[in-house]
This record gives sequence, C-alpha cells and structure tokens, in this order.
Amino acid sequence: MTTEPLHRNPERRPDRAALVIAAVLLVLAGIVAWDASRIGGVVQYARIGPQTVPYAIAICLAGLGLWTIVEALRGDFPEREPQEAMPVLWIVAGLLVQLLTIRFIGFSIATGVLFALVARAFGERRFWISIPFGIVLSIAVWVIFARGLSLTLPHGPLEDALMNLLRPRTTA
Amino acid sequence: MKHVIAASILAGAIALPFAAMAADYTIMAPAAPGGGWDQTARSLQEAMTAEGVSGNVQVVNVPGAGGTIGLAQFAQEANGNPDRLMVGGYVMVGAILTNKSPVTLDAVTPIARLTGEFEVIVVPAASELQTLADLTAKLKADPGSVSWAGGSAGGTDHITAGLFAKTVGADPKLVNYIAFSGGGEALAAVLGNQVTVGISGYGEFQAQVEAGALRVLGVSAPERIAIVDAPTFREGGVDLVVQNWRGIWAGPGLSAEQVAAITADVEKTVNSESWKKVLAAKGWNNTWLAGDDFKAQLATEIENTTAILKDIGLVS
Amino acid sequence: MGTVDLLIQGLGVAIQPINLLYALIGVTLGTLVGVLPGIGPATTVALLLPVTYRLDPAGSLIMFAGIYYGGMYGGSTTSILLNTPGESASIVTALEGNKMAKAGRGGAALSTAAIGSFVAGLIATIALAFLAPWVVSFALAFGPREYFALMVLAFVTVSAAFGDSALRGLVSLFIGLTLGLVGIDLQTGQARLSFGVPDLLDGIEVTTLAVAMFAIGETLYVAAQGKRAPATVEPVKGSLWMNARDWARSWKPWLRGTVIGFPIGAMPAGGAEIGTFFSYALEKRLSKHKEEFGNGAIEGVAGPEAANNASAAGTLVPLLTLGLPTSATAAIMLAGFQQYGLQPGPLLFTSNPQLVWGLIASLLIANLMLVILNLPLVGLWVRLLTIPKHWLYAGILLFATLGTIGANPSVVELGMLLVFGLMGYALRVFHFPIAPVVVGLILGPMAEQQLRRALAISQGDVTVLVTSPIAATLLTLAALALIVPMILRARGRGQVLTQMAADSD
Repeated sequence: MTTEPLHRNPERRPDRAALVIAAVLLVLAGIVAWDASRIGGVVQYARIGPQTVPYAIAICLAGLGLWTIVEALRGDFPEREPQEAMPVLWIVAGLLVQLLTIRFIGFSIATGVLFALVARAFGERRFWISIPFGIVLSIAVWVIFARGLSLTLPHGPLEDALMNLLRPRTTA
Repeated sequence: MKHVIAASILAGAIALPFAAMAADYTIMAPAAPGGGWDQTARSLQEAMTAEGVSGNVQVVNVPGAGGTIGLAQFAQEANGNPDRLMVGGYVMVGAILTNKSPVTLDAVTPIARLTGEFEVIVVPAASELQTLADLTAKLKADPGSVSWAGGSAGGTDHITAGLFAKTVGADPKLVNYIAFSGGGEALAAVLGNQVTVGISGYGEFQAQVEAGALRVLGVSAPERIAIVDAPTFREGGVDLVVQNWRGIWAGPGLSAEQVAAITADVEKTVNSESWKKVLAAKGWNNTWLAGDDFKAQLATEIENTTAILKDIGLVS
Repeated sequence: MGTVDLLIQGLGVAIQPINLLYALIGVTLGTLVGVLPGIGPATTVALLLPVTYRLDPAGSLIMFAGIYYGGMYGGSTTSILLNTPGESASIVTALEGNKMAKAGRGGAALSTAAIGSFVAGLIATIALAFLAPWVVSFALAFGPREYFALMVLAFVTVSAAFGDSALRGLVSLFIGLTLGLVGIDLQTGQARLSFGVPDLLDGIEVTTLAVAMFAIGETLYVAAQGKRAPATVEPVKGSLWMNARDWARSWKPWLRGTVIGFPIGAMPAGGAEIGTFFSYALEKRLSKHKEEFGNGAIEGVAGPEAANNASAAGTLVPLLTLGLPTSATAAIMLAGFQQYGLQPGPLLFTSNPQLVWGLIASLLIANLMLVILNLPLVGLWVRLLTIPKHWLYAGILLFATLGTIGANPSVVELGMLLVFGLMGYALRVFHFPIAPVVVGLILGPMAEQQLRRALAISQGDVTVLVTSPIAATLLTLAALALIVPMILRARGRGQVLTQMAADSD
C-alpha cells in the first residue's frame, strides 16, 4: 500500500517495458486458448472437460494484460534499478555450458566450469584458480552423492579415472 | 568419543558401495525412485549382486510420461550394448499409445516377464453392491451412476474398467472413471464412500479388505488366487482376465548369443533364494515368461490395449 | 494406560546406545541428502532405505525415522541461508527466513525453525499416538468437493498475503496457474501445453520451478546489481540465537502451525505445503508486525516450519491406521515397512504394537536429536554467509543444479531451470512477487482435478459443491476472508476521507 504513490507524476511517460509485459501476457493468453482449442472431446460426466480451465485461465491472462496496459500508460509501475547485462550473460553461459556438456564430459568438469563462470559474473577473473577449484569441489560432491548415496549423477572421463584409481586391484 | 564412532560408521556406510566396482549391468528404471519399476530394478540389483550373477549393478532412474521418456533414451543408449537393461511393464504399453510416443517397445529387445499382480474391484463394506452381478446390472442400467476410482487415465486400472464394461455389454466410452494420482488417494475415496467402486492392484486394498472395511467383488485372475478370498471375474459371469505385469528388456542390436546370455543371467537371478525372498516381502507373484512366448504375449497385449483405448476414447 | 506403557517400552528400546547411534546416522544422512534443492524427503527416503536393510528391525526402524525427519529438516536450512528451498514444503520458509538471514538474523531464523520443528514434531507425534483414530475419520470425510472448497479457501487467503500490488500479485499467480496446465491431464490423458515435447508430459516439477525462481533468479538479480550490491553480508547482528522478543513472537506461531499442519498432513490429498501456506497467511493476518512481513518477520518462519513438521507426523496417521500412503514419502515408507514384515493398516496397532510404538518412540528420539545436533551448528551455518560473494553464489548454483541433475538428469529439465531462472530474474526486476507463481503451480492443478472429480461423481450436478457441511463451511470462510477485508478497507478509506475533509477545513 505504501509503495503506491497517491499523486502520480503527470510527467511520467508510458512505461515501455511494462507494455512489453502486457504484450507477453496477451500472447500467453493466445497460446493457452489455441492449445485448449486443439484438445479433443472425451465423454465427460463432469461437463467441464480438459479444455474448460485453460480457457478460463486464458481469459484471465488477457484481462490482466489489458490491466497492465492501463497501468503502463498511467505510469503506475514502480521505479526499477538499473541492471548490468554482463554478469547475467556470464551466469547464463555457465548454465548453458553445463546443460549441453554434462552428458559427455561428466558432472564434475561441467559443473566446475559453471562454478567458475558464476564466480566470473561476481568479479572473479582468475579462471586458472576458479576452474580447478570448481572441479575439485564438484568431484568431492560427486563422490559423496553419486558413489556414497547412490544418486544418479552423470559420469565422464574424470569420474571414471578416479573410480579406476580407487578400485581394488584384485577385481581386475 | 561417540562422535568418532559415529563418524567412522558414517564413513563406512558411505564407503560400502566402493567395495565391489566391477562394472556389469546397468538397469534403467524409467520412473522416479520409489515406484514399482524402481523397486523392481533395485530388487534385481540386490539379488544379482547377492547371487554373484554380476559384480556391480547400477540403477539409473529416468522418470517421466509413463516410462516413455526412459524408453526413448534407452533405445538410443543401449543400442548394441549387452550391459544395459531396462525395467518396464503393462503400464508402458498403454502409455506409449496414449502419449503417442515415437519410440515403441519394438525398438528394444524383450527379455522376460518377471512379476505380476491382478486387479480387483472393491466396494465399501456398507455398499449395496454385494456381488459382481449387482455391479453388472447397475452398470448396464445406467453406466454414469457407477463411479470408478483408480489410477491415472489410460493406466491399467482405467483399461480394466473399460474392458469390464465392454465384456458385460456396456459402452466403454460411458464408464464414469475418476482418476486419482497414485498412492492412497483412490483408496481414500473408496473408504470415504465418495465413489461407487474402487479398481486397482490387490496390494493397494489388501489391508482394508483384511480389516473388513472393503469388500472384494471380483478378481481379474483366470482362477481363484490364494491371497484373495473372492470370486474371479469369470466366476461372476464376466469373461475377462487382466494382469498388471512387470518385465525386463535389453537394448536393440544384440546378437542371439548376447540375448541368450542376458536371459540366462536374469533366469538365474529369478530362480535364486534372494529373489524369492523379495517376492515374498513385496507380495509379488512370479510370472516368469521368456523368449518367444513373452514376445507373442506382448504382441497380443499391445493389440488388445490399442483396441480398448480406442473404445474408451483415449486414442483416436 | 496400555498405550502409555507401550510408549515407555518403545522409548526404552530407542534410547539404547546402539540405537541412538543409528538415529544419529539416520538424521545425518537424511539431512545431507535433504539439503539438496530438488530432492525432497520422498527421494531421500527412497535412496537411503537400502542402508537400513542391513540392520535388525528395531535399529532399521530407528534409522529410518531419523532419515525421514532429517530429510524434512534439511530443506529449511538452505531455504533460510541460501534462499534455495530444498522441497516444496519449505518454499514459504525462504520468504521470510532468507530476508532475516540477510539482515544478520539468520541464527534466529534457523533457531526458530529448529525449535519450532521440534515442538511441532513432539506435539504431532504425541497426537499421532493418542488421536490417530479420530483424526483419520475426519480426514476421510474429505472427498473431492471438500478438497475443492479447501483449495478455494487457500487461494483466497494466500493471495491476500502476498505483495502490495493486486495486479502484480495476480499476474504472478496466473503465470503459475498457466504453468500448472502443462502436461497430461490426469482425468482424460490429454496432453496440454506440451507442444509435443515428451519431457513436458509429466508437467513442471514444483521443485524445479522453485529452485530456478528462488536460487537462480536471485543469483542473476544480485549479479546484475554489479558493484552497487553490498560486498558481504554481516552474518550476525545482535545475539546469535533467539532473544527474548523472538521467543515471545515465536511460540504462538509454533502452536498454531502445529494445529494447522497436523490435520492437513493427515488428509489423503493434503500435502505439507498447503499447511505452510495457510500458516503463513494466518500469521501475517494475526501479526502485530505486519510491516515486517516481506522483510523478515520471524512469525513467517516459525509458523510454516512448525506446520511443515506437524504435517510430516500427520502423514503417518492414515499410513499407520489405514495403510493409506497419502504422499510420495508415505508410499515409499509403506514399501519400507513391508520390508520389515509389517503390513500397515487397521490391524497394525493390535497385531504389532511393539513395532508401532517403537516407531513412534524413534520419531520422538530423532526429533530430539535433530534439535540437539542443529542448534550448536547454527553458528557454523550462518558463517557460510561470510564466504566471499563470488564463491558463495558459485556454490549456490552448484547445489541448485546438483539437486535437479540428481532427480532427473535431462537437458530439458536443466533447460527449464535456466528459463525459469531468467523468468525469476525478470519478475524481480519489475517488482513482481515470486511466491504466487509457485503457489499457483501447486494449488491450480489440485483445485482443477478436485472440481472435475466432484462434478464427475455427481454427473454434472453443480449443487453438490455446497451441499456438504464441510465444503459449505470452508466456502463461507473463503467468502468472509474475501469480503471482510474489503469492508474494513472501505471503512478505513471512509475514515481517511473524513480526516482529509477535516484537514481541508
């Protein structure tokens, strides 16, 4: 309640970003309604079938989109902090690297790289420190959770090499 | 002092899986930890290791969409690799059809059927329905008035309800089936008198039946089974047998020798004392069926299931 | 009397040194896996159950109780310190708990969570021992229409408790409801909003969404502030543990949380997170410090944590008395019991009293052990916050992704983590509240399924929704919760208007 100013600043121009949000909501409403229209009819005693609730949600989303347009035009959205793009990109890169490579290079290396890239986003530029540190940490986590507690974590060359080292010689 | 002991025991508990590392079979459970397929995979793991069939057995969980996500991944990863196995069952047959899965059971190599459970139809003790004939009459008179509580749409329970209606001459499309998400929700609905009948594997209802809170109207077995004191569907005049079974598959692209070796390993495990203990503890029946017999049975089931899912209206 | 004797006998078994050791190992292992975001108590118990098979029945039961309570407990620590809810029932804890941790009150938040969990666990376990038969008959009276009414009440009370803008709160809620549509419709098997992607057929995992929106969204937001964000957090301001004021503000929420959580846990379609929502909404309404909600109100940690633990004990009511597993965790526990040759159900209390009371005694011991273990560790935990920020957030993302990878190592699942993380970031930038998205994802599908079940059973007759006394009562409460604040606000505005009129004179 306290954040809404009683007297709006008449000089504030329409909020472009808020209009984008409104557009996103309207598009979302369209997608939900389109998807619901494709659902085939199954005999239902409930009278409300699998498409009823999606339609209701689509209507509400559209309504919220219109409401957002009104608030955007009136400049009712609160002030935003300026954002820096680079750190966000570093973190997104880290997550992308992990999800694309984890099945091939194993949990430890992929997660170690993620670790280093996130640290980079927060200003740690020394990759020759952060990558090895991240990998060692990830190996420790892998050993505890994958070997010790039988969680399924993808393994790669590093984990296999480690397990070979630890394997008792007699079974060879 | 106590901390030292605790720490060393803890370390021991964590270190135990290191003991035997000879990589042998990796069994995929195409479901989250805890469900029937996961329990089957983990029980196989235990029995195979205990019997020395395999030095080290790993279980991998790939959950999702009635096992079809695991199936798609397995068909690709296990191609030509005789160390990979996958657990699955009747539920997967239905899920492949309802989810329109691009990868079907044709893409993998069936090894054997392992366990099975029959379906039962139950009513609350206070219900006016006394026999299967009462249910049949009610269903024929007004199909909508019989609400059936069971698992998710298109699953074994739903299929059985549809087949039941079809067999007694009612329209399977008009079955008023109420799907409940797993666990005890369906059981609670029956106990709370919210629905007319409950339909599921006997294990789900066993405790309540023994306590007298539920009455079994019929069992989907071909003849009476020891654990359930109730008539079969056939005895009640409904010629229908349904079994919710689980089995094991290997990857595609294996030679006949490799398939034979895997079948021998699984057979040895299933005939072991450890496996018999598992069956007793979990209340599973041994329904061993391997090779061409299993393949033939699978083909019939896929055909029947496709037909009934079309009749119910879930598959077009 | 027989009951008390059996309980004492059970406690006697449980406090033997070797059994205490098993309990200790159980709670440690349980906490270790339970802290992983995305891996809740159900998976924890499933993964660790085989460890217990190596022991005798009494020992394994005790270790098992420890794993269960430890798994429940692990989630709240990460929620408070790292804003990373380990499971859906500790999402609400993150709301106020993490704000407290950032203000140097993490010790107090962890303490009220630990002690609140203990108090709730103690009361609820005793209630389990003595009230189980009554609670269970109440729980069974809930059919689809009653659940639908309960969900309506939850929507009304919970959405009133989030955020300061009706528009932004509703947008968040409807994003959550839309996400809740994704996947196969349980009643008809039709795929909705899945666009042919098989990984979407099972819907969106609540923990994936929560971890992404909270942990990853927050990390992105803090990183994007660049140098303007404070370099480090001061981990302790004032006393490390709870001060007298904290105690005074915590004890009532503990008790209220217990009273809410226990019966909801006992309901077959309840779920621990529903209890935490109600508790949070109630505490916010009753609190004398409403302005602190959203900025670190201790009541908002104390109540939901108590509710969470009480519902864990509540889950055991239908499990032990009816053999009815009402949650994924309970279903796995059922499998565990069968391993010990125990068939939970109506006959269990009479046929196997030693084991039942042994289990209840074990739960009491595990509960006590958790609070004894965790209180001294609070100081150590809050030190985590003094780790330099670049390592701390790198570690948070390591843990956040670890949970998801462990639960389901698929590219699509990790992709969802990234997409929802970016969405959580965008929502933060535009001051949209985060929690309603998760609430919508949890409550939406439940409400829809229950409504359709109720109508299918009645063959389309809508009047059944209000003809049951319980449903009618719940819906009346929901209507009151919606209308009364409006009237009060209208009146309040009237007062302001008269005041303004008086001023202008």
